[in-house]
Parts: sequence; structure tokens; C-alpha cells
Amino acid sequence: MPAASNTINTELRRIRLVLLIMLGLLVLLGGVLFSLQVSREQEFEDSLHRQSLRRVRLPALRGRILDRNQVALADNQPCYCLAFYLEDIRKPGKSTNTVVEIRRRMTELTALMGRKPLISEADIMTHIKRRLPLPLVAWRSLDPAALARLAEARVDMTGVDVYVEPNRAYPKNGLASHLIGYVGKADLDDAALAGYQYYLPEMEGKMGLELKFDTALKGEAGGRMVRIDASGYKHAEQMEKDPRPGATVVLALDSRIQALAESAISDVPGAVVVLDPRNGDVLALASSPAFNPSQFVPIVPKALYEQLNADPEKPLLNKAVAEVYPPGSIFKPVTALAALNGGAVSAGMVVDCPGYYMIGNRPMKCWNPNGHGRVDLRRAIEQSCNVYFATIAVKCGNEAVSDMAAQFGLGERSGIELDREARGLVPTAAWKQKAWNDQWRIGDTCNLSIGQGALCVTPLQMAVMAATLANGGTVYRPRLVLGLQDWQGQALTNYPVRAARQIAFKPGVMEAVRQGMHDVVMAPTGTGGRARIPGVEMAGKTGTAEYGEKEDRKKHGWMIVFAPYDKPRYAVAMVVDDAVSGGLTVGPRLQALMLGIFGEGGTEAGG
Amino acid sequence: MKEFMHHLGLLRRMNWVMLAAIIGLIVIGVFFIYSATVMRDDSTKDLYTKQIKWAVVGLACYLGTAMLDYRRLRDLSWAGYFMSVILLVAVLFFGTQIYGARRWLMFLGVGIQPSELAKLAMIILGACLLSPAAEKFDARAPFWKLFLLTGVPMLLVMKEPDLGSSLVFVPLVMAMLFAAGAPAKPLVRLMAGGGLAVMMVLAAVALPEKLGMTPEHQDKFFRAIHLSDYQRDRIEVFLHPGKDPMKTGWNMRQSEIAVGSGGLTGKGFLKGSQNILGFLPRTVAPTDFIFSVIAEEMGFAGALVVLLLYGTVVVCGMVAAMVARDKMGRVLCVGIVTMIFTHAFVNIGMTIGVLPVVGIPLPLVSYGGTFMVITLFALGLIQSVYVRRPGL
Repeated sequence: MPAASNTINTELRRIRLVLLIMLGLLVLLGGVLFSLQVSREQEFEDSLHRQSLRRVRLPALRGRILDRNQVALADNQPCYCLAFYLEDIRKPGKSTNTVVEIRRRMTELTALMGRKPLISEADIMTHIKRRLPLPLVAWRSLDPAALARLAEARVDMTGVDVYVEPNRAYPKNGLASHLIGYVGKADLDDAALAGYQYYLPEMEGKMGLELKFDTALKGEAGGRMVRIDASGYKHAEQMEKDPRPGATVVLALDSRIQALAESAISDVPGAVVVLDPRNGDVLALASSPAFNPSQFVPIVPKALYEQLNADPEKPLLNKAVAEVYPPGSIFKPVTALAALNGGAVSAGMVVDCPGYYMIGNRPMKCWNPNGHGRVDLRRAIEQSCNVYFATIAVKCGNEAVSDMAAQFGLGERSGIELDREARGLVPTAAWKQKAWNDQWRIGDTCNLSIGQGALCVTPLQMAVMAATLANGGTVYRPRLVLGLQDWQGQALTNYPVRAARQIAFKPGVMEAVRQGMHDVVMAPTGTGGRARIPGVEMAGKTGTAEYGEKEDRKKHGWMIVFAPYDKPRYAVAMVVDDAVSGGLTVGPRLQALMLGIFGEGGTEAGG
Repeated sequence: MKEFMHHLGLLRRMNWVMLAAIIGLIVIGVFFIYSATVMRDDSTKDLYTKQIKWAVVGLACYLGTAMLDYRRLRDLSWAGYFMSVILLVAVLFFGTQIYGARRWLMFLGVGIQPSELAKLAMIILGACLLSPAAEKFDARAPFWKLFLLTGVPMLLVMKEPDLGSSLVFVPLVMAMLFAAGAPAKPLVRLMAGGGLAVMMVLAAVALPEKLGMTPEHQDKFFRAIHLSDYQRDRIEVFLHPGKDPMKTGWNMRQSEIAVGSGGLTGKGFLKGSQNILGFLPRTVAPTDFIFSVIAEEMGFAGALVVLLLYGTVVVCGMVAAMVARDKMGRVLCVGIVTMIFTHAFVNIGMTIGVLPVVGIPLPLVSYGGTFMVITLFALGLIQSVYVRRPGL
């Protein structure tokens, strides 16, 4: 049957063809595999390594904040933590086996440490799922006793180790808390985390200088490459980029004076600022009541924060820069300088004070209802005679007074590196028209002359004023920060002394005012006599400014001083809420402060 | 008793090389299913023991079918065909939905894929139709009949939707027709037509965007040509692998990295980071992407062993076709070999990125009970043809 065998032959030929095609296709697959796996292996190897490497963001050591004598106000202290290194603890098989092992170790260690771990079983699971190559911290803030027990313990310590974390600390127990502020857990944004799979908790400034200088203080985060093994545990690690520690912020502050200033007003709400009149350095800046920033780290307790926020005495507010007060009589030197400098009044001019000053047909009372009698400038400052200052202010005009106030830096922000600095207000006719839609009256001039009315100032502005009176007319910008240093102590930036302006006075004018201020403290009858200390000649001015509702009048007590009189090194402004008067309430507190600064007998103590 | 001894005697004529290759593939599969699931904590962790059980069931089937005379299937071919069609209809209504497709029928707690059954039923029916007992046989007549008969299960499988499995019918029937001596011209035409259709589908996905059609118009167009979103996505990913490597392209890209980083000798058993770390999706690593696990951990050498084992199965199968005592045996073997080859080729092709991702398992190696048993049943038929070859 040739036909049949022919058909069969065709079929066999075709089957052979199909087989050849299949084998050809298999060879083709083999060729593709060869090119993928052998020729291009490196390329895929690289992709693979990128996939099995994890980058961990490492926060830099936060910079310190030092005072002018290198005393640390904000520092880092080691916090000893006990951590599990899972790659050494893991058990084969299901991850629950590893959890069981960790729990067993934890129970063992709990007995040893005598306190419960910070983490629950759920935390362990989360850690295994999300942060497997990182150490799992189980105890934090170990004390030396616990560390010693751990060192002597006879338990299995493989995979358990002490891990040191820097903790923010405020070693001077809350000194200058309003200036320094505090830190809290950072909310890292996507830009900061780009390229990292894991990150460690970081701190960021939440208030004060910690916030203002956050960028400099926090330094530059680094990174560590962690190669994970086939199961996702850490296999090896390698530093990729060392974190660059944050810069040290060096303040002009003198922590000794700061402590004195804080204790001078620790029992009353108020504020103190101590400046160096030779350069504007802020030697102390205190606000009362204060808070202790150590309680805010690492997390601000919610109840505490709410309590502080609701407190009518505003402990979170830095009153030295963020609160405004009417200055009252401590403003009078400015009125005097305005009148004398304009030439309308001479220092020898005598005014008769009957105990009141007539504005039209309405009398404005002097604080002494019996009157001061005939007073010249020196006596008027010493006695703080309202009638005298109203008289000279009316003579020279309110514009001259407000101009002089503006020259002293009132009504403008000093630019100090602190949050929420208030501007204050120096009222003018234009301001009154705009704000109250009313014209300026003689009464407004009289109020302005004695530091009342709409005039309001910050304690810092008053300290700048005192410093300007002390140095004879240079208005320095208050300098809180001297400079930044890198972590090895190399200077990075220096903040120079900056004068806002030099006020030009006619000869003798400043001297006349300073003599009056000298008598305020040094004369037997001076209103500021209670601030006097032995061995140091000081000058100053007291003030009492009324505030609050008519039925419930309260008084702010003020006092400014500078000392020593002939070569002033300190200019101070202090304000106390709810005072009897500047001289009675603030005088003794200022005395305590100055005694502390100069020491008994006027020999300056300390550095 | 006598009959049983006769069957045992037949078994001694079995192609032992092919059986060895089959067992080799199964063993490799079990090992790498273990590797692909070792990191799991859930119930799927003991997939490899299930696979061993299925392999034992399958091998028993294999020996049973080898003893069975394949010519007896002639009486059962139509019944098998209609059964599979009924199951395919049933799966559309009662099937368990997994990842948006109804491909599984739950039967006494065992999931079966009717599409796998349908392929085998089609091969058996095809072999019968193409080799009638009649002496005078016009090869043209069953040609169109076979096409129509194939069309029904194909469309039903496509409806599940399972485009990949449905397309497997095409090479299968073509190869059987070709081997059965069908006239070459219409076959070539048909092949050209099929190729054109595939090109058109690819073009339909790629072109509208190139032509600047708005997305709404594109959607309308795709609905008009009955291409579902997932099919369109897969084709698009195949055409532009870099387009969205995180979504649809993820499997393909990760599989390529796994295979590529395996190198010459691989990273070692249980050491493939792509597999163990879960870059290869855990849901598909033991099934459709088992080959990438092998290629990563055993390298080119391991991949080559797998290819050689398939080559051995294919050659043995075709040898059985060539020595078969009748035409039915020939066509049956060609159909079965083509089915297994197509699965292996498409599966490996997709794991190494030369073919689009379609859900087709690797025969004997991928995890899957039904498919294991059906594959071994089919391979048993090849042995059945082989042991009944003429001569000694």
C-alpha cells in the first residue's frame, strides 16, 4: 500500500518537524536565560542589592546651648537603654517563635531589672513587621544600679545589649527656661525621609532658642546602610554618612546673673532684664512664673501643658519680651531729655508743684497730694514729680517726647532672637486720630510725659532705655547670642555688637538727667533708696503704673537702674505685677539682685 | 489474573527515561514550593506536603492510565467532551472567585479547574475524530468540525476570564491537525490569521494612545472590542515594562530580577532574596512564578536542568507518537506533548519577560492539585500508546 505508507511517512515527517520546532523553542528559552543570568548578571545583581539594602536615617547629636562662660544650659546626657538585637535572637520557623523567645528573655530580665519593660507583645510584632533590622528597645533610662546588676547577671545576654541614646537635658534645672525653650519629638517630613526606609526618633525645637536655632542645633542627619539577609534580619551594616553634630549656640547670658534675676522675682509674676550697657549683651532675661523644660522631654505631658496654658499668670509666656506694660514714671527721663534737648527747658528751670497740674479747668494730681513745692530737674527726677514733667512736656510738645521715645527704641521690636516679641506703642496725634478717631489733647501730652496713657513698653525695651541712659546715648540692639561654634569648638558665626543708633544730645543734657537718677537711689529722700547697696554708686528710676478696671485698680511696680554710676556695666529693668509701688515693691528685689551681682561691699563676685 | 499479568508485562515496556524526567520535575517542584512558602506563617506553609500528596495520587493515575488501552477512550471521547463543557458552564455560575476570575469549582472540598479538564477532553476527542476507523478518510471533513468543537470550550474559558488558558487550545489543535496530515494550505492560512489576530490585539492596546485618543474614547474602544481592563493592563505592561513597575509590572520586573540575579549557579536553596524577602509576590511564587524561584536559587544551571527535563519529556512523547501502532495514538501523543510544551514554554517565557504575564502554571512543577493529576493522567496516556507499540 504505497499510498498508505506515503501518508504515514508524511505524518511522521510532520511529527518530527513539530518536535524540532519545540526543541528549537526550548533552545531559544535557554539562550534567553543564558543572556539574562550569565551575560547580564551584574545588572540584575545591582538591582537586587538595591532591594536588599535598607537605609536608616541617623539623627545628629543636637548642639548644646552655653552661656557666656561656657556653662551648659541645654545639653545631652546619655540615656542607657536595653535593646534586643533580633538577628541574634531569632528562632527558626515562624516569626511567632522569635516573639516567644523575646518574651522569655524579657521575663527573665524583668526580674533582674525590677521594673516592667516599655513594650508589649503587640509592639514586638509591629517591630518584627516594620523595623526588623533595627534594635528593639525594651527598657529606657537605666540607672547605674540597674546597669551594675546587668553586668553581674548570669542570664543569657546574647542578642541583648545596652544601647546609648542621647537625651536632651537642661542641667541648670530649668534656668532661663523661657529663653532656651524645649524640644519634642520631630515630625519628619517626606523630604527628610526620602531615600530612607527607617529612621530613629529625632528631636526638634518647639519653643525659644531651641526652636529659633533648630536648624543649626540639629546638625545634619547621617545614614547607615543595613544589608538584610534572606529573612529580612540585619546581616551586616555599614556607615554611609556620619551625622554631623549640631552647632553649639553660645549666649551672652551669664547664668549666675540669670539665676539671681530669676530668684529676685521667683515669688511674684513679673520680668527682669539685665543688659551690659557697653554693648547691649543680654546678661539675664527672666520671666516669672517659669516652667521646667525637663518635664517637657521627651513629650510634653498633656495635663501639665493644659494646666500651664490655663494659668492666669501665664507661665509659658516670656513676659520680658512678649508682654507690654505702661512704663509709668520710669519713662520720665525720656520726657526730660526731650524737653532739654529741644531747648524749651533748661535744667535749672524751677517749677512750683502745688500737688496738682491744671489741664484746662481739670486738675491732674501729683502723687504727693501736698505738692513738692519748688523743684528743678534734678529734684523732680529724684521725687518723680508729675507736675514738673507735665509742665515741661507741654512746653516742648508731645511730638518731641514721642520722637525721643522712638529714638530710644520704644514702639519697635529690638529683633532679639526670641518668639513673640511685642512692639509696644508710642502714641502720637496721627495714631490717636487713626485708632480712636479723636484729636490729640493737652491731657494726652500730660499722660505721655509721666509714662501713662496709651504708651506701652516691654521690659526689654526699658532695659535698653536704661542701658542707653547709662552709656550716654548709644542704643544697642540687645545681643542674646554671641555666636555659633561647631561641635569641636571652632567658631562658625559671630554675632557682632550692633548699635541701632546714637542719640545726639546737647552738652550737659544727659548729665543733668543722670544726676537726677543718681539721687533717686543715692539721696536720702530718693524714691529708689530701697535698692541701694553698700559700696556701689547706682542710678535709677522707680515707676508705678496703674492698670486694670476702674473698680479694681492694680499697679505695676517698675524700676530701672544702672551701675556703677560713673562707668556702668549693668543696666537693669524690673517689673512686678500687682505692686504697692515701684520704690516699695521693686526696690528691695532690685537690691537683692544688685547685691548678688556686686557681692557684699561692692566687690564683684564671680567671673 | 491473566489480564493483570499481561498489564504488568506491558508496564515493563514503559519508557523509563520519561518517567524519570517526570519524577525529576515533580521533585524539583516540591523543593521549590517549600522554598517559596518557607517564610510564611499561615496555612499555606505546608503547600509542599499537599503537593507531595497530589503527586502520589497523580503517579498512581499515571500508572493506571499507562495500563489502560488508549483505544478504549474512543467510546468515552464525546462523553468527556460534553462533561467538560458542562463543568465550564457550571464554573461561570458556581465557581469560586479568586482575584476577579471564576476559574475554580469546589468539589468535595477539592478545588478543580475545569479548563484543565477541557484541554485534555479536547485532545482525546480530537485524536478520535482525526483517526476514524474507516479506511477512506477525508482529512478535510473533521477539520472544520474540530474547529467548531474547540471554539466552545475556548470561549467558555475566555469568559472566566482566563485568556491564557483559552489560547492554549490553539497550538494544541493546530499541532494535532498538522500531525494528522491535514492539508497544509488552510493550516498556514489559519496560522497567519491567528498571528494577525494577536498582532491586532497588541496594536489595539498600543495604538489608541499613540494615535492620541482621549482616555474616555480608549475605554469605549476597549469595551467595543471586549478586552477587559486586566487583559489590557497585562498587554500594556508587556509592551512597556517600565511604565508602572510598582503595579501591574511588578511581578514581571521582580521575576526578571530574580532570574537575572541568579547567575550561573544561583544563590543556593532557601537563599534567594527575591523569593524569601517577598519581592516575588508570595501569592504567585509557588504557582505561576515557581520558575523564577528555581532560577534565582539554582541559577542558570538549575534552569537548564528544568529545560532539559522538559526536553526529555517532549522527545519521549514524540518518540511515542512516532512508534504508535495507529493514527489515534500518534495524534493523541502529539496533542498531549503540545499541551505540556505550550504550558512550559509560555510559563517560562513570562517569568523571564519575553511573553506577557498570563496565569499559566508550569506543568508538574507549579503548585496545583488538579493540574498535577491531569498532567500525569495525560502523560500516562502517552505511556499507554508507547507500551502498545508494535513489535516485541
